Amino acid sequence: MALRGVWQLKKLVVSYSDWGGSSRGIRSFMESHLPAFKEKNPQLEVVIEHIRGQHPHLKGLYNNQNERVVCVKNMDPEEVLQCATRLRNSLGRKVVKLRTRHVTKHPSVQGTWTTDIKF
Amino acid sequence: MANRRCLQFLTRRVSALFSANPPLHTLSTPPPLSTHEPLKALVSKSPLIFSPNWSAPTRHFSSDRNDGVDDSEDDDDDDDIGYSSDDGSLSKGGGSKREYTPEEMAAEAAGIGYKVVGPLETTDGVFKPYEPVFAVIQIGSHQFKVSNGDSIFTERLKFCEVNDQLILNKVLLVGTSSQTMIGRPIVPDATVHAVVEEHALDAKVLIFKKKRRKNYRRTKGHRQELTKLRIIDIQGIQKPEPVVTEKPSKTHGKKPEKVAVAA
Repeated sequence: MALRGVWQLKKLVVSYSDWGGSSRGIRSFMESHLPAFKEKNPQLEVVIEHIRGQHPHLKGLYNNQNERVVCVKNMDPEEVLQCATRLRNSLGRKVVKLRTRHVTKHPSVQGTWTTDIKF
Repeated sequence: MANRRCLQFLTRRVSALFSANPPLHTLSTPPPLSTHEPLKALVSKSPLIFSPNWSAPTRHFSSDRNDGVDDSEDDDDDDDIGYSSDDGSLSKGGGSKREYTPEEMAAEAAGIGYKVVGPLETTDGVFKPYEPVFAVIQIGSHQFKVSNGDSIFTERLKFCEVNDQLILNKVLLVGTSSQTMIGRPIVPDATVHAVVEEHALDAKVLIFKKKRRKNYRRTKGHRQELTKLRIIDIQGIQKPEPVVTEKPSKTHGKKPEKVAVAA
């Protein structure tokens, strides 16, 4: 999640509910793993939102104005940490099937081969 | 029948005991396993059979000890084998959360992925402009023809974080516009530097299985874990000098035009 050295995930919004049982995991994540996660990523702005009556989720805001929402209801704190790490590790690009595994702007150095070339 | 054979075997053994008074270790050689259980059965019976003849030999009954020793030995062997296999299976089963020592990590990385993790990026102008140099790299089982500034999607590389610098040392071919170096199979002293850009999941692929008229239908989703690498630098070949003369000539061309206009 770093395009040419620039981190792509700008903001992480941790939304939880203090009443609901589905937020249990994320509540314990906020106590146990979130401080360490914040320290590992000083460039990241982590905002904690309290939403009652809704399932908990993680929102990631990227440099390309893309927003990725991951619902973390009924998850263990370790799984929530994994989700947060995944959000931080990825660029904000749309999740589409890859066209090629090799993306280049200069496909040929010695010249593209044609049938007319004679060595 | 088997009982009779075993009895004969026993009697022979016992007679040997009495005739030559051999030391116990000769009799400690275990009898064949096939006769194990019948011997055990006989051991229980033997005191009944042999006690009227003599009293002390029941204690010295070496087959008893042999059986005990053999059982214990075999049990120990079985237990040892069991434990070792369990340990092996445990270590293999817990491979996903295995903690690697740094040497193990480096060795695995070098062995499987042909990469050595360098330090984290120092943002010192690492991203150079395009140079007309290319290389053929192998990562794992996949090969890529790569140049400066390209990005590559590989299978997830384990021991590196985002913004890490990697050194890919399995380089099969290096080339410029004038020169090509072909490796046999690797070009020695040729390295390619890359930076880890992303660890992400690919789009979901649905795996649908159906056997018609057999009431069998399965749907499975799969997301492959990928790593995006950006190639920074290729070393190991003489790079051609970059052509910079164009820009000054353009500016010189512009200035006299402006002077003319002003005048």
